[in-house]
Amino acid sequence: MLLAHQIAMENPAMIRAEGVEATEFPDLANQFNVRGVPQTVINAGSGSVVGAVPEPNLIAEIKRALN
Amino acid sequence: MEKLLNEQVISQVKQAFAQMKEPVQMLLFASRENCEYCAETRQLLEELAAVDEKLGVTVYDLQDNADVAAQFNVDKAPTIVIAAKDGEQVVNYGIQYAGIPSGHEFGVLINDILLVSGRDSGLSEAVRDFLKHLEKPLHLQVFVTPT
Repeated sequence: MLLAHQIAMENPAMIRAEGVEATEFPDLANQFNVRGVPQTVINAGSGSVVGAVPEPNLIAEIKRALN
Repeated sequence: MEKLLNEQVISQVKQAFAQMKEPVQMLLFASRENCEYCAETRQLLEELAAVDEKLGVTVYDLQDNADVAAQFNVDKAPTIVIAAKDGEQVVNYGIQYAGIPSGHEFGVLINDILLVSGRDSGLSEAVRDFLKHLEKPLHLQVFVTPT
């Protein structure tokens, strides 16, 4: 989650990074098919990364999801 | 009321907060309805804010302060916004956590506070450059569970 937060602070006008406690918000977790944690959902499902991945992997998935 | 953070935890937090550079403001958005953990989250943040004068907390109600919630893109409770404080100005860094930060997430909250306090993401130049030139909005939701 810290990585997502690091990403947001570079451009808060365009980026929002939200940690979500899945058991408190189960509907949201179900909506995005969250199966493992941590799981990062990009732009409401345009992309998704399961596990705590290194910076290059998350950035690559973000680039893919934005295209 | 009984404290949520015992003396040992407080002393560890104090040690971590010694690295704080600039002031940080936590904004808690709570709700009177359907919020099992709002009261506990509020108490936790108030105990944390009491540890260091560079850290503050403001409590808002998701319904009563709908304008502030909209300003920070908050739509559920409890949500904690970890923002920078420059003078009287609260500066949104797009950093949020929805839920009570317990277990592992408590440590993440402490690290978030230090991150915002340092005013530096620590990311590589190439990544910073990519993020600064985004043409579309980016919303990251990191799902976690208490450990």
